[in-house]
Amino acid sequence: MARDLSFLFPELMLASTVVLMLVAEMLRAPRLALAFGLIGLGLSTALTLPLLEADTSVFGGTYRVDLLSGWAKLILLPGTALALLMTRAEIAGKDREGSVYVLLCLVTLGALMLAGGGDMMLLVLGVVLTGLGSFAMVAWPRNDAATEAAMKYLVFGAVTGSVMIYGLTFWFGGAGSTLFSELGALDGKPLIALAGLVAVLIGLGYKAALVPFQFWAPDAYDGAPVSVAAFLSVITKVAAIFAFAQVLRDLPVATGWPFVVALIAAVTMTLGYLAALVQTNAVRLLAYSSVAQAGYFMMGIVALGTSALALPSVIVFGAAYVAMNLGAFAVIMIAGRNLDDFKGFGRARPVVGVAMVVFLLSLTGIPPLFGFVGKVLLFGAAIETGYLWLAVIGILNSVLALAVYLRIVVSMYQAREGDAGRTEMAPPLLVVLWATALVTALMGLFAGVFPG
Amino acid sequence: MPLLSISVFLPLLGGVLLMALPNKSARIAHGVSIATTGLTFVVTLAIWARGTLPGGFAQVEEIAWIPAIGAAYRLGIDGLSLPLILLTSLLFFLSAIYAARITDRPAVFVALMLMLETASIGTFAALDALLFYVFFEVSLVGMYFMIVGWGYEERQRAGLMFFIYTLLGSLPLLLAIIGLYLATGSFDMRLWIEAPPLTGLAAMLALIAMLFTFAVKIPSFPVHTWLPAAHVQAPTVGSVILAGVMLKFGTYGLVRFALQMTPDAFAQAGQVVLAFGVFSALYGAFVALAQSDLKKMIAYTSVNHMGYVVIGVAVAALTLDPDLRAVALNGATLQMVSHGVVTGALFFLVGMLQSRAHEREMTAFGGLLGQVPWLGWAFVLSAFASLGLPGLAHFPAEFQIFLATLNAQPWAIVAIIAIVVTAGLYLRAIAAVFLGEPNEKWAAMPDLDRGEMQAVVPLLILIILIGVAPSWLLGMIDATMRALQF
Repeated sequence: MARDLSFLFPELMLASTVVLMLVAEMLRAPRLALAFGLIGLGLSTALTLPLLEADTSVFGGTYRVDLLSGWAKLILLPGTALALLMTRAEIAGKDREGSVYVLLCLVTLGALMLAGGGDMMLLVLGVVLTGLGSFAMVAWPRNDAATEAAMKYLVFGAVTGSVMIYGLTFWFGGAGSTLFSELGALDGKPLIALAGLVAVLIGLGYKAALVPFQFWAPDAYDGAPVSVAAFLSVITKVAAIFAFAQVLRDLPVATGWPFVVALIAAVTMTLGYLAALVQTNAVRLLAYSSVAQAGYFMMGIVALGTSALALPSVIVFGAAYVAMNLGAFAVIMIAGRNLDDFKGFGRARPVVGVAMVVFLLSLTGIPPLFGFVGKVLLFGAAIETGYLWLAVIGILNSVLALAVYLRIVVSMYQAREGDAGRTEMAPPLLVVLWATALVTALMGLFAGVFPG
Repeated sequence: MPLLSISVFLPLLGGVLLMALPNKSARIAHGVSIATTGLTFVVTLAIWARGTLPGGFAQVEEIAWIPAIGAAYRLGIDGLSLPLILLTSLLFFLSAIYAARITDRPAVFVALMLMLETASIGTFAALDALLFYVFFEVSLVGMYFMIVGWGYEERQRAGLMFFIYTLLGSLPLLLAIIGLYLATGSFDMRLWIEAPPLTGLAAMLALIAMLFTFAVKIPSFPVHTWLPAAHVQAPTVGSVILAGVMLKFGTYGLVRFALQMTPDAFAQAGQVVLAFGVFSALYGAFVALAQSDLKKMIAYTSVNHMGYVVIGVAVAALTLDPDLRAVALNGATLQMVSHGVVTGALFFLVGMLQSRAHEREMTAFGGLLGQVPWLGWAFVLSAFASLGLPGLAHFPAEFQIFLATLNAQPWAIVAIIAIVVTAGLYLRAIAAVFLGEPNEKWAAMPDLDRGEMQAVVPLLILIILIGVAPSWLLGMIDATMRALQF
């Protein structure tokens, strides 16, 4: 018991942080809640470092402390800290401000459950924990748009969640255990394996906003505060992808699941970018772009169990995605939600403009930025597994991606009629921008620190 | 001293330094620009003085980068890349001198140009495929912003077309690189050249991917359509760099990657590549003949000249005679350098004409030779070089290419018709712009000023030098080409 708990220090730290933040919020001290949150996230990141080399599981195999869950903490905890700062910049001084901070950290705790889950029960727990907090955050502005978005999000989540639980019972029946590590027993039972796979694809696919379960994403992102949209688009998505990796790497390849996932990956990235191409709202554009990025993630999932590049590719691209997508949303917070708001933005704010160009080119996969390294690994993993066609589709979509992101870049450097309103930038936002821009621009050159 | 790394990163350092300066006036920006590119040119001369090794890469520099996947920072040169590096550093130096008249956001322009120089030299010097790809793509970004930031009327559309077209073009190369990597577990290009890792269908697929990438970059028919748009809309310096340096990425890659890393597949597909080369050479010449816009005309002659390079490389792949191979590849490599020098000069001169007249249509001019003799004679000399007159830069290159072609693949000699067409179109352009009745409208046109002379005259001297005595270049190229194993 003591051994098991000693591997859970980061999670325990985060859980107690959430409790302290709740108390601070009850005292109507949002700044205190924020401070608790930042310190707690920092401490729990630090506590992860000694556990990074561990490769074990605790509590009878239900929770995994391995490469994937270790890096999930290293990526998601700092990512959440940045999202906290963005939220502070957006909603400082508003009513019920602290409750958003608490929810952010609570959802991250659920995200860690997803990324480390080794058991079906824990998977369900993670999905519910991330879901409930997210619904509340989307509804937070209390206006019509937000309420509608949260409602869609909730109904969609409730339905997909129950379908997932139903489908998991097939796996439980077939394998005789709720542990993922026992899924090997499904070898030779393709129908049962498929039934459960479809259920997992629905449940986690909704969380990761894969096509065809992406409908909620643009509405939810657009209805929520921009910083919350940023958080949802990175933290819950990356957690769902890592959960995919935890679940599927034990499922026998012979059941044919990689092909199903490859199909979904191809459709997701193509439709995501096609839809993004016609958006006039920057938040919705990035929402569809993050749908497409989920498709790229799935290229790494396809290669699980066959390619040694699979796990590193998902981890590296996960880190890159968190940095560049948070950064792009932070720029939207400064420029405005509409694509028209970007007109002349690059000339009015040269430094932030360059940062946005870096984020967008990295999202496209232009070297030597961080996103490029992730994509090379993803392509390599897919090709090594024999999915050359998927890599080709990924490459064609990179061109589509450029067309999507250049729409923002082009309007940033167009002349603007009238004077460009120069709003003051909140200091927390400045921290977020610098941190994400530096990581996006330079981590590609220092990619050697990641596991290979 | 790691001279290669210094030459690659010195320009970038200059750009970063400039961005960090509190005072970014035009004077300071262009001062930094000329000093940095000049110093880089000196460094590349020092690299030249150190020399190359026959049959291998010289001056190799290596540092670990991503050891987990076998990618490292590896630089080195041989007789193929060194002439191109020298050409690059010279053209950037001259561009920096000419660009000193730019007053619109000069600091940003200079920073972009210096970033482009780093990417260009890096592309030629990289010995690690991932590193090569990084430099190759960064150059795209720099050129995109140069076109949309400082181009002419339709720059937005031309820039977008350039970026999307060439990104689509370069991504297949990434697939080929990943394929080669998965077969060896390393991104070291020397390993891939020493023992080509792919065979059979895999090699052919990799070759097709690479050919597509480099055909877009060269550009070869039928994927050349981005070139006229980009050239016409790009600022003068952008055109010079695009034609003089960046088109060479394609031909360099054709030899370094396609020929050296998948030689057997290349030999099998040789006739197809040769046919594309011949068609490109002819097509480029005839379409250039149909242009009345000077910039567009020169852009299309690039398609023609680069077609000869493709012919040379394809002939080398198809023949087994080592002497003929060396002749064909020597011609192709020299043609890359000659084209950079000659077309660089032509784009400078047309840019100078355009900045005076705000006009590029040939018919709008007439009799300018008496008005602006320096500009006129410089243009005449460059045009004669471009049409392949003996004693000027293109002749020794094209002669060797055609010599090898006639011996190895006689049918392909039909491409020589293109030379006649090119002669016709240049004579027509000279007659329309510089001879005939002087047009009153341009009576006050000034001749070349000192800065413009400094940018053009070195190129004119090189045109004659390469034409009359090419051996100082050919010696170094030949030593490498004879030792090539494929």
